[in-house]
Amino acid sequence: MSTAPVPTASARPSIWSNLRIDRRHYRWTELWLLLLPAAFMLLGLFELLIVHSNTTVTSTTLPPLDAFGPAIGLIAALGIAHILLNIVAPDSDQTLLPIAGMLSSIGVIMALRLGPDLGVDSLGAKQLLFVILGLGVCIVTVRATRNLSRLRDFKYTWLIAGIVLVGITLVRAHSFSTNAPSRDVLTIGPGLLAFQPSELLKICLVIFFAGYLDENREMLASSHYKVGPFTLPPLKHLGPMVAMLGIALVIVVGVRELGLALLIFGLFLSLLYVASGRPAYVVVSLLIFAVGAYAAFSIFPYANTRLQLVTNAFSVPNDAGYQIVQGLISFAHGGIFGSGLGLGKPWIVPESNTDFIASSFGEEFGFAGILALIGLFMLLVYRGLHVAVRARDTFSQLMAVGLTAVFALQTVVILAGNLKLLPLTGVPLPFVAYGGSSLIANFIIIGILLRLSQHKV
Amino acid sequence: MESNAIVVLALRVGLVAILYLVILQIVAVSRRDMRLANAAPPATTAARPVVGYLVVVDSGSTHLVPGSRFPIEPITTIGRGPTNSIVVDTTFASTEHTRILFRDQSLWVEDMDSRNGTFVDQRQVTTRVAVTPGSILQVGDVRFKFAPLDGQKGGR
Repeated sequence: MSTAPVPTASARPSIWSNLRIDRRHYRWTELWLLLLPAAFMLLGLFELLIVHSNTTVTSTTLPPLDAFGPAIGLIAALGIAHILLNIVAPDSDQTLLPIAGMLSSIGVIMALRLGPDLGVDSLGAKQLLFVILGLGVCIVTVRATRNLSRLRDFKYTWLIAGIVLVGITLVRAHSFSTNAPSRDVLTIGPGLLAFQPSELLKICLVIFFAGYLDENREMLASSHYKVGPFTLPPLKHLGPMVAMLGIALVIVVGVRELGLALLIFGLFLSLLYVASGRPAYVVVSLLIFAVGAYAAFSIFPYANTRLQLVTNAFSVPNDAGYQIVQGLISFAHGGIFGSGLGLGKPWIVPESNTDFIASSFGEEFGFAGILALIGLFMLLVYRGLHVAVRARDTFSQLMAVGLTAVFALQTVVILAGNLKLLPLTGVPLPFVAYGGSSLIANFIIIGILLRLSQHKV
Repeated sequence: MESNAIVVLALRVGLVAILYLVILQIVAVSRRDMRLANAAPPATTAARPVVGYLVVVDSGSTHLVPGSRFPIEPITTIGRGPTNSIVVDTTFASTEHTRILFRDQSLWVEDMDSRNGTFVDQRQVTTRVAVTPGSILQVGDVRFKFAPLDGQKGGR
């Protein structure tokens, strides 16, 4: 018989060797890529500072160094995150942090730019603080998820934690007026710390779906019952997952976050398809979704209005369709090369710093900028799937696919909403839209993806 | 404001250029990753060492394709159940029918108390028996031939 060498367990490195920067494995690629968001921050801030000043820029009238504080702060935070990653996960993917850094520096620049015009001068500083916090949380996540089986083994715990958090918020929610932007904000203390737990629910759901599908993948892929021409999966194996999906959807629809419901359902579909490889599941689920969506649109007048706006926004440009029409005008005003950072009027659009950040960016950076922004998101998704392909086991692969799908779905849903291709929903554009909860949740996702791409433990 | 027009124009071009530069650089890194991944052996071979192959000689009443090749891992199970390494979809096979082990640099076949028995070279397997390349393994009405690893793709 052939005698193939069986790999033996390599000698275990000492604890201390993990905490040192290995010169050969230094993340040079990441360092080089991080120079670009740094340059973007500096140039963007410089433009913001001089664009409305009347003095000609010469070597003597340069803006004071203090004014570059936000840029320096962000660059320092990215640099520190880079150094810590070298220690914590030296072999992990080197493009994820630069992409996230680039997108969040766009977010900080836009918040700095929009703040004064929206009458909130601290908007940029707050967004910068959220990014720095997010980078910290990202590194902590990379460190804390060293033992991935802990995520898998406690999948029900994670999910229930997520659902309970959102549930508490739902019960305590006091403003149920139809047009408040988000009704699921959990406020801890008197306005000290406001958080949107539904952002964390997404991550909890990915952990649960990935863990559950990993356990039951073979059962779901094999068909056991045949009803006429259809082959059904063993229902008892699909049951718990569908039940959890149902609970999550009911809660989310309860707080009327239809965008989030769309996101959760899309997540479920993509993971189910990836795990089972059976298009039949997707077709059946989409049919169920069509029925559910129809029900939602007939029950909630709020949802129905949003749907009608897709076709008739321009017939009500001054009331219901105001926001979306202004957003489209904003895009159009940008043209191909944009009005230039600081030279447009993006604040005319309601929610120009959150839901309509894409139209603000589109107005000032033009079609060229929006194309680059979409390109960045596509690369983020590509790198996420790259992590999935190279992951060690099925659970890691499903986690990576699910987390990537969260980015992809959010981007598509909000960009399509801004461009009047889908009903407008309040999903934040990852990393770019103003908002602490969403930023921190997205950085947690980047942290988990970094951990999944780190092969040597 | 007018006086700064050229500086502002340069900054506007620069900002968009940086965005595209990021994209170009990341695409370049991805291309390099792909080249490295093609050069290196797939990571799965390290996780699950393949010690040989089973070639389907006679597919019997199953959907297996004669001539198709299954990798033998240090522990390989054959049977009708979906959790086996090699699933033989026939009523002649038990849910857990046969197990192949790699021990002491040799492959061993053992029967898992199957109803119809496991046969190596037409002899029924009662205790654990060693097999060599070329041996014929019969599970239900399916027959496999043991093939060595040497010279096969995926081997090291």
